[in-house]
Amino acid sequence: MEIGHAAEAVGARLTIPVDELVRAAQRGDQDAFEQLVRAYDRSVLRLAMNLLRSPEDARDVYQEAFLRVYRSLDTFRFDCSFQTWLYRIVTNICLDQLRKRKVRKEEPAVMETGDGALDRMDSFEEEAPHADPERAAWNKELKARIEGALQDLSPRERMVFELRHYQGLRLRNIGETLGTTEEAAKNCLFRATQKMRSVLGDFV
Amino acid sequence: MNCDWVRKLIPLYFYGELPSEEEERVEEHLHGCAACAREMERQRRLAAALDRRLAEPPPLLLEECRVDLMAAIRSQTPPRGAVVSRGPWALFLEAMAATLAGFQRFRQPVGALALVALGFFAARFAGTNPGAAQAPDLSAAGEVYSTVRSIQPDNAGRVRIAYDETRRREVSGRMDDRGIQKLLLAAATESNPAMRVESVGLLSERAGSSDVRDALLNALSHDSNAGVRMKALEGLKPLAGDPEVRKSLAGALVSDDDPAVRMQAVDLLVTQRDDATVGMLQGLVQKENNDYVRLKCERALKDWNASVGTF
Repeated sequence: MEIGHAAEAVGARLTIPVDELVRAAQRGDQDAFEQLVRAYDRSVLRLAMNLLRSPEDARDVYQEAFLRVYRSLDTFRFDCSFQTWLYRIVTNICLDQLRKRKVRKEEPAVMETGDGALDRMDSFEEEAPHADPERAAWNKELKARIEGALQDLSPRERMVFELRHYQGLRLRNIGETLGTTEEAAKNCLFRATQKMRSVLGDFV
Repeated sequence: MNCDWVRKLIPLYFYGELPSEEEERVEEHLHGCAACAREMERQRRLAAALDRRLAEPPPLLLEECRVDLMAAIRSQTPPRGAVVSRGPWALFLEAMAATLAGFQRFRQPVGALALVALGFFAARFAGTNPGAAQAPDLSAAGEVYSTVRSIQPDNAGRVRIAYDETRRREVSGRMDDRGIQKLLLAAATESNPAMRVESVGLLSERAGSSDVRDALLNALSHDSNAGVRMKALEGLKPLAGDPEVRKSLAGALVSDDDPAVRMQAVDLLVTQRDDATVGMLQGLVQKENNDYVRLKCERALKDWNASVGTF
């Protein structure tokens, strides 16, 4: 999959301008609301899935986020783009989840893949053992280190990193989404990268 | 610009987040400083390692989420003036019939039939009118499976519960029965891979009918399970001369990630010689990574007295 899909894919399939759809949905037009959901929901689900690494949690985030959008759409005043407003809701829910996990000190170490969720790292490992056990062991260690590195990040650093690296959002939009400045988002990204490099050590 | 400063900027430079003047200065420094260039390389390797950690949602999750969301929304906001005069079971059967009637066009792996039922019941029993929806007698309902989605008590001491209900029914009949075939077609897109293997295997004996052929082509092109794709290939054997089938076989040969499926696709394609297939096999001989698939392509070309290389 292409990294940075969120920035380019969302809203791209709409033939009616987003603002017009939002206004129609605010007037109670269910079709317009459904079109809005379908324009953005794929990237919302991908964000939640990659961040929380559990289909069940991703499903909960999806449901809660779009229900909040539905209930509070009439409070949206076009002060920012609809996408920013939506991502603000989504990132708040995800941050709550990450914070709860930090408190409980839990993180799905093995992703729930029963329903076919794909983890590129796993597929690398599956190919490797027969061909090159040394490489397989190296991949396994790298995977463990990466998981450890990501767990070491604060929820906010993790979110900024997720939005920039995996979702392809610009730092300016990330700052706006998280209710902070571009400069603060930059610092967050810098800290996240440094922490990961120090945990991953010689592996990269 | 000194090395310490450049190293601080490397992550932002990598993500294209520096103003253009600063970007040029970093670039200039990297060209002249081997140590900082190595740091930049480390940044690239870190990003590449993290790319491999990307987790994609399971294939049907998005459709399930959409159905759940719309059901939850319908349960919150009753559409004004919506009067339902038919019973829920009659409406469900209508929904089933509509879904099955549209199956000929069903070439994309969208949500399984169960999702239709789930959305339907959530909408129906959550109630468009809280006063009118009577609580059904679950104890008397026989094989009914319920999943409670939301519970909302009100001040008057009542409680409003939204739940999905699934009923198990059994039918039996001969394979040439149209109704049985329709159910098998529906099972071919179920989320349970065992169901898909079983149904596609049974359907493959009846590939002559156009909707069965479409279901097999759909399974070959889109099913995530290699066992299901192999069963679909078996069923498509007698149709290997059909242009549309050949197109899907060529697609599988070029892009399927399972070597067994690719080999089987070669077997089916070589039953009929045409220039496009020769060209494709010649191309594969050059770039195919799997030895067995490559050898199979070579052998087919030799059998046809065609050149193994391209010029």
